[in-house]
Amino acid sequence: MSDSPPRVGVVKFASCDGCQLTLLDLEDHLLEIAKSFDIVEFAEASSRRSPGPYDILFVEGSISTQEQANEILELRTQTAVLVTIGACATAGGVQALRNWADHDEFRSAVYARPEYVDSLATSTPIADHVTVDAELRGCPIDGGQLLELLSAVVAGRRPQIREEAVCLSCKRRGTVCIMAASGAACLGPVTSGGCGAICPAMGRGCYGCFGPVLDANTESLTAWLRASGRSDGEIGRLFAGFTAYAEPFRSVVTRSRAIASEEDPRARE
Amino acid sequence: MTETAARFLARDRLEDLVHALARPGGVEVREVIAPTVEDGAIVHAPIESAAELPRGVRDVQAPGVYRLEETEDELVFAYAVGPHAWKRRLFPPQRTRLTFAGDDGRGAFDAADDASPSRNGDQVVFLGVRACELAAITVQDIVFACGPYTDVSYASARGKAFIAAVQCTHPASTCFCTSMGTGPAVTSGHDLALTEIEDGFVVVAGSNEGVELLESLGLPLADEDRRSSAQAAVRGAADHIERNNVGVDGSLARRLDRFPEHDRWDEVATRCLACTNCTMVCPTCFCSRDIHTSVLGQGEAGAERQWDSCFTVQFGEVAGGNFRRRLRDRYRHWITHKFSTWWQQFDASGCVGCGRCIAWCPVGIDVREEIRAVTEGEHGEDPREGDPFQAREGAQVRAETVGAGDTPGDGVPEPPPVMATVTSARWETADTVTLTIATPPGLDVRPGQFVMATLPGIGAPPISVSRISGAHFEITVRSVGQATAALCALAPGDRLGISGGYGRGWPVDEAEGCDVIVVGGGIGLAPLRPVLDWVLEHRDLHSGVYVYTGARTPDDMIFAAEMADLELRKDVTALRTVDRAGPDWLGPVGVVTQLLDPDAWAGESAVAFVCGPERMMSATLDALLDAGIASDRIWLTTERHMECGVGLCGHCQLGPFFVCKDGPVFDAAQLGPYLGIEGI
Repeated sequence: MSDSPPRVGVVKFASCDGCQLTLLDLEDHLLEIAKSFDIVEFAEASSRRSPGPYDILFVEGSISTQEQANEILELRTQTAVLVTIGACATAGGVQALRNWADHDEFRSAVYARPEYVDSLATSTPIADHVTVDAELRGCPIDGGQLLELLSAVVAGRRPQIREEAVCLSCKRRGTVCIMAASGAACLGPVTSGGCGAICPAMGRGCYGCFGPVLDANTESLTAWLRASGRSDGEIGRLFAGFTAYAEPFRSVVTRSRAIASEEDPRARE
Repeated sequence: MTETAARFLARDRLEDLVHALARPGGVEVREVIAPTVEDGAIVHAPIESAAELPRGVRDVQAPGVYRLEETEDELVFAYAVGPHAWKRRLFPPQRTRLTFAGDDGRGAFDAADDASPSRNGDQVVFLGVRACELAAITVQDIVFACGPYTDVSYASARGKAFIAAVQCTHPASTCFCTSMGTGPAVTSGHDLALTEIEDGFVVVAGSNEGVELLESLGLPLADEDRRSSAQAAVRGAADHIERNNVGVDGSLARRLDRFPEHDRWDEVATRCLACTNCTMVCPTCFCSRDIHTSVLGQGEAGAERQWDSCFTVQFGEVAGGNFRRRLRDRYRHWITHKFSTWWQQFDASGCVGCGRCIAWCPVGIDVREEIRAVTEGEHGEDPREGDPFQAREGAQVRAETVGAGDTPGDGVPEPPPVMATVTSARWETADTVTLTIATPPGLDVRPGQFVMATLPGIGAPPISVSRISGAHFEITVRSVGQATAALCALAPGDRLGISGGYGRGWPVDEAEGCDVIVVGGGIGLAPLRPVLDWVLEHRDLHSGVYVYTGARTPDDMIFAAEMADLELRKDVTALRTVDRAGPDWLGPVGVVTQLLDPDAWAGESAVAFVCGPERMMSATLDALLDAGIASDRIWLTTERHMECGVGLCGHCQLGPFFVCKDGPVFDAAQLGPYLGIEGI
């Protein structure tokens, strides 16, 4: 990159805009960010628009329509460093649950005139379509991780974003393990940290919004869930959250749904 | 200490005790950290009043299970250990390790070692410390505070803690302190020790400070009946553990390092979540990492030291590889270290039998079962006799000098990096640079040692010195990760932080009068260069000099000009090989071991120095041994992930060794048994 500040774009596909807003939520650092980066495309922040090229492009959302599939290919050609942000962009999002369902049936059930809705049968992560250089996970992403990434770009170093389970964050903050202390179902042991373990600290199980940690042992966790009396339907639903389509969560969902529907066809609904 | 007689504290005077603990001189100076119920568990938190202690609460613990039950009684210490270990207060989950102030041209590092166990930075009271936990604190004293380098933050926090221990009377099913010889009775290391009986507490002092505190309360002597009920309660706990709980045969557990290829490691890896909970709740686990980072727009970039775990994938990772990529290797490392190699490192067990790792493992993996499964059919006697993986001098010598009897604070404080200036930067190959650095005042570095090369906000990789000459030293860095890439980008005039020289260097003196064989592969030639420098400078003190080096391609050869010059010398045999030749390469092609010429060496009196990829070292070692060179005359240097360089972060372990302080140079008798074990 040249001496002028990097040209940055923030774009979205199928998503809620919450991850982009995390950038705006970095209130104390916004002036510095504006100094260090030339934000040329960020519809949530400014009506000033630019088609590129971008030194860095933050991409939110999953690919849910053919139009989006075409657009991400075009954006990739305009972009030096492409960073996906959030569960939708990195894992397909909660809308990827339709990947297990009958797309036409869903459309008919939801929309009065389904023929006007031109969507793909699947919701897929950006990395299924183009090469991704970095990703920030979560629903929404963590402001600290975003700031770290921006700081790293400016310092010319690799961001310090670790691949480790949510459990480390729980333990460092002193949260009592809700699995051991109450038998609660928690995806923390198989989910990538970075969120600061906020959910277990509030007494509820991690629902996996940062997606599977490297080498996630979902086999062992599902065995524990089963041994603790959970049905396959329940186990499937536990993994069928914001990152359901990311392996190995995807396999758990697929298998649990198959077993559950064998036992009770209504469980598929 | 003047008086140790047991005193009696009536139950209704417990508040007076808490008050006196917080205000020993009448003014509030100490925070009292004590057990209290929070989120369904008994945790440690600051208390203001005895009413915050867990009254009438019992814990039920089993593998993967921890539950509290309420009872009608008034007892406040009738439970075993909870999820928090006291290490939270002495070795906090995260603290600032280094600060860096000033811009690139003038900035400097400073050690930020004043972490305190209490919120206000003053003295603190740990109320309710059990025998196993006192043992764990002693274990961490050895690790952190008995040298050769000291974690000053730990030692300082330790010195501020007044320990009001409580005898264990209600053990959990996960407890096995009696197996590990750590409890349930508190016998030393306490300032006060309380035993809860029906109508109050029998209290004894264990230090002068404890005696003074007891005197200030004006407590009556405990009568015979109360003293015997107190003794009976602790004895009852011991009997309960011995009779009802699953135990561990400590001497069998010490043999865990003999089974690196046991099938059980694969089996346990199918159950283990690698969640790290066992290590996080363990009161002795001490591994940490330093996060070097910078925040946009802020000039200061220091390092945060944070709890780490050997169960994370990154723990054994170095740029370009991972020494423990498989979960089976990580589980094996943890449990073997805890029960077996810890003895060789610290002359103590790393396990105190508190059972936390059992109760807080989400899927209920029980170390006692794993140890039994692995050592089944073994016998417990003479654990180290004839052990193929027996640690040799390095570890044992330290065990003698750094034993449980040492005083915290004996070691040298872990120093902050000192800023040094790059005077020249020379590209060796397309990805490797040799930096010449003006030796900063006070830095002493010897051949074979390494320095931590710290770049503010980027990282601190360990780098071997590749030349030591007068007022300068050199490091040769291959750009394989973000920190090494940044080092390679340094230019003359740039500054970086240096700490070291660390570790055991090459024993160059031992080669005097001998044939000297130097075998280097790739970047491994860098740490060998000071050996060559020494030998050539003292050429007449040595017999034959044989230098064999290999690289992937001719373009990957470091020190190419120097090596070419060496080939021309009549008093040195120098040969080079490459894995893949280029158009201009006329020399040999193939592995470096092909170059070796045992017939030329005086086998029995030769001394060899070897460095390169572990597979290359392993093959070279076989060839050198075949040539009749004794294993303790073959010296190897090795690499591991390092965060601190001084034996505190736990990352660089290789079997029983810390590569940073026991190595990086080892003799083949020490290192040989481990070279072939994948993921050790």
